[in-house]
Amino acid sequence: MPTTDFHEASSSSGFGFSILSRRRDQVHSMESTHEASVQEIEVEAFQKQVADRFQDLIAAESDDWLSISWLRKLLDAFLCCQEEFRAIVLKNKAHLNRPPVERFIADFFDRSVKALDVCNAIRDGIEQIRQWQKQLEIVLCALDNQKTIGEGQFRRAKKALVDLAIGVLDDKEPNTNVAHRNRSFGRSNVQKEQKSLGHFRSLSWSVSRSWSASRQLQAIGGNLVAPRANEHISTHGLSMTVFAMSNVLLFTMWALVAAIPCQDRGLQTQFNATKQFFWAVPILSLHEIILDESKRRDRRHLCGLLKEIIELEKCVRPLNELTDSVHFPLKKDKEVELKQKVEEMGNVYETIRDGLDPLERQVREVFHHIVRSRTECLESLSRPNSHD
Amino acid sequence: MAENGEEKLVAVARHIAKTLGHTDTMAEDILRIFSNFDGRLREKLSDDGVKQTLNSLDRKISGYISADAPIWSNPANFYSFLDSVDQLTAAVREWTPLADDKNISSCLDRAEDLLQRSMFRLEDEFRALMERGAKSLDLTGGRAVHRPDYSDEEDDASVEDDDNFVPVAQPITDYDVVVDALPAGTIGDLHEIARRMVAAGYVNECSHAFNMWRREFLEESLSRLGLQKLGIDEVHRMQWTQLEDEIEKWIKAINVALRILFPSERSLCDRIFLGFSSAADLNFMEVCRGLTIQLLNFADAVAIGSRSPERLFKVLDVYETVRDLMPEFELIFSDQYSLSLRNEAIAIWKRLEEAIRGIFMELENLIRRDPAKSAVPGGGLHPITRYVMNYLRAACRSRLTLEQVFEDSVAPSVDCRDGDDKALSSSSSLGVQMAWIMEVLECNLEAKSKVYREAALCSVFLMNNWRYIVQKVKDDELGTLLGDDWIRKRTAKVRQYHVNYQRSSWSKVLGVLKVDSISNSTSPSGASKSLKEKLKLFNSYFEEICKTQSSWVIFDEQLREELRISVSGTLSPAYRSFIGRLQAVPDIVKHMDRHVRYSVEDVEARISMLFQGNGSGRR
Repeated sequence: MPTTDFHEASSSSGFGFSILSRRRDQVHSMESTHEASVQEIEVEAFQKQVADRFQDLIAAESDDWLSISWLRKLLDAFLCCQEEFRAIVLKNKAHLNRPPVERFIADFFDRSVKALDVCNAIRDGIEQIRQWQKQLEIVLCALDNQKTIGEGQFRRAKKALVDLAIGVLDDKEPNTNVAHRNRSFGRSNVQKEQKSLGHFRSLSWSVSRSWSASRQLQAIGGNLVAPRANEHISTHGLSMTVFAMSNVLLFTMWALVAAIPCQDRGLQTQFNATKQFFWAVPILSLHEIILDESKRRDRRHLCGLLKEIIELEKCVRPLNELTDSVHFPLKKDKEVELKQKVEEMGNVYETIRDGLDPLERQVREVFHHIVRSRTECLESLSRPNSHD
Repeated sequence: MAENGEEKLVAVARHIAKTLGHTDTMAEDILRIFSNFDGRLREKLSDDGVKQTLNSLDRKISGYISADAPIWSNPANFYSFLDSVDQLTAAVREWTPLADDKNISSCLDRAEDLLQRSMFRLEDEFRALMERGAKSLDLTGGRAVHRPDYSDEEDDASVEDDDNFVPVAQPITDYDVVVDALPAGTIGDLHEIARRMVAAGYVNECSHAFNMWRREFLEESLSRLGLQKLGIDEVHRMQWTQLEDEIEKWIKAINVALRILFPSERSLCDRIFLGFSSAADLNFMEVCRGLTIQLLNFADAVAIGSRSPERLFKVLDVYETVRDLMPEFELIFSDQYSLSLRNEAIAIWKRLEEAIRGIFMELENLIRRDPAKSAVPGGGLHPITRYVMNYLRAACRSRLTLEQVFEDSVAPSVDCRDGDDKALSSSSSLGVQMAWIMEVLECNLEAKSKVYREAALCSVFLMNNWRYIVQKVKDDELGTLLGDDWIRKRTAKVRQYHVNYQRSSWSKVLGVLKVDSISNSTSPSGASKSLKEKLKLFNSYFEEICKTQSSWVIFDEQLREELRISVSGTLSPAYRSFIGRLQAVPDIVKHMDRHVRYSVEDVEARISMLFQGNGSGRR
């Protein structure tokens, strides 16, 4: 786990911070409060907020990363940052209506609109996970509360497990063919299997079939470059604020896409912030961590990196293998092994059952907040100053 | 001894059952009756009874399960099978608490195994029934024909054949039709199956099959209406004309969904899951959720999109659609699971209101941003005035809706109307909003008028534009909103500008024509000289005015006439009397032609050519 002490970063010749501190010294030496210094304090406070919030996310237990509860913390952090950003925009209308920051902020609000589609796709993804609950319930009902596992219950659980395995895997992966073979029970024919698969896939109601999460992320991060030093000063640090908030938006959406199943989940988005900016350090570290996680061989075939999905797969795959290899009547040790895996599965099931609704509500909250904030800021920026 | 007696009793009981019972079922029934009658028999019979029951059920059920043909295609078999399943389910329930007993436990295992196989088969039957029985609706104008119930047919092959499906072109004329998505017989059969699956604890499997199938049906129905799935960003970047088309399609689609499709699905859920209201509610919500989200999402995208004023009327359409369908929505989604959907719909409704208010705000910005420099040559009607007035009149055709939209908001913080205006006009928030826009327009016109170098032209410009505004307001809803007093005041403005014009243009000329005490006090030659001077001045001033004002325009015919008449009315008599004074001076009379350039008629003629705006004032 990387250690990030942003005190260290700031005392080094970190670009953003040092210019601000130099300016602040100048101002203090003038012995008068200049409007510009109030702004810069605001801007600095915002960057510190971003750094703090994302530092907290890194500081979470490493096995909590990308879990449902961690995602909720991420969304909280996002909302905090955006709320503060909104306040800054509303207060600094005059400065924001000048080039070049005028264009940066218009770009930011365009990025916000693109992020809305990601939020909607994530909601669909959460629904997809919710659908697995039914299959989980079947498995738990069939295998959990029996003294001994009967063959009928076994078969019933097996069918649900195969469905689950298909659902949890990315549809691009060849593993799904293996799952297909095991699917033939009774009168199942190919058409019916495809319909089952189709069921898990056609849950994207909010975006078109050609929509791609990966492309959307690229679009959100498109043309997102750090402001030049002179821009930074001439805009009283506001261009850096917009840049920071844009990165917060991009990272939040990126992390959601990494965790939750959605159409065309590619994670190759570029982050143009560098660790020179103290606020960017925790964000970039998190980015590295999650990216590394996604490249692990045993993660690559999953439809999402959500911790609960990983744990689910850890139960489902061995259970499938177990139930494939076993013959009736069950040997005692196999039965014990089975029951143990089922118990683990029960735990994951409970986390999913209890956590999905609040997560979905929060994603909706983020959606609504992005819309409200954008509308309010755009309206404010378009009106002349004389209106109250 | 006692044992022997009991054994004999049991044997006799069995014998009786076998002799009297013509079928296995009857025999079992008889044995059961004996068991209930006598405790000793119960004990002795129970083990065997359990096995007997199980064996007979096994025979029957396995027979059905192993058959290739769908069981439902033969009603007698179907009900017999279901009956057996009922007994099996009851048996499992009965035996489960007795699982400690080894004999019972092994039977229980077999029973559960049999039950699972029955359930899997029932699931297949369920899917097959839905697949076969569904007719697709031709929602673009036709209605499909009810398929005849094939259950009596002997030829099973035709059951699988989907080709003899003929849509009949009967247009759906109104939304009161609740279409049967499946034939009544099929629904009944599905219910029978669902009942058994739920009772056996297989509600998830049943729901899964049901939901998946109905979701596909809905998706297909909607795609026939040409409705695409569009993301918010896609809508945001769409060309307006294309978006207008999509809005039309959406309006049709959401009406069909909420008035036909969803009620139909609700009815289906209620009938198939009759007696299991939780399952019915949950399945209904899961079936309709996706489509509802898609429809709401589009409305949301429209609300979030551009606030360009040209979009007002289509956004109003979307808003009115959502508003009008809200009662249906709340009725259809009144169950416990659909709360979040209801909340979403309401949020989007509110956002559409905000969007409409935002459009008016954007209109204000548009007016404010219209550059002052773009004054119209000749002081005529400015395009912005024409645009705004026609826009507001068109908007007021949706007055009731707009009142609703603005009532829900906080009115602009500055109520710019003065006390009288406020008291007499409509006190609605919409009235305030309209008055505010007029205020913004007024400021803009003021700024534009100042660009003209001549004060007189400035007045002409304002006269023209306010005349137009008053005319457009007077005979319209807009007038009711702004109020009589507002109209009165602005009409007075026009008159004021008229007066200003006259004063700034013609007072100099009129001043020259004033001949009062000259002739009395000075000598005749002096008087003649000053008169000649005055005449010269008049000629040059008049010429100048006519030249300058030749390109000026008054667009309104009536106003034009009024102006000409009032100018003429002041100038003509003054000039006539001036000429009269000239004629008293013999010096001038001798060379009248040389000095007097214009006759009174000439002057009147020149004036009557003013304000045409085509330079025709020049000779």
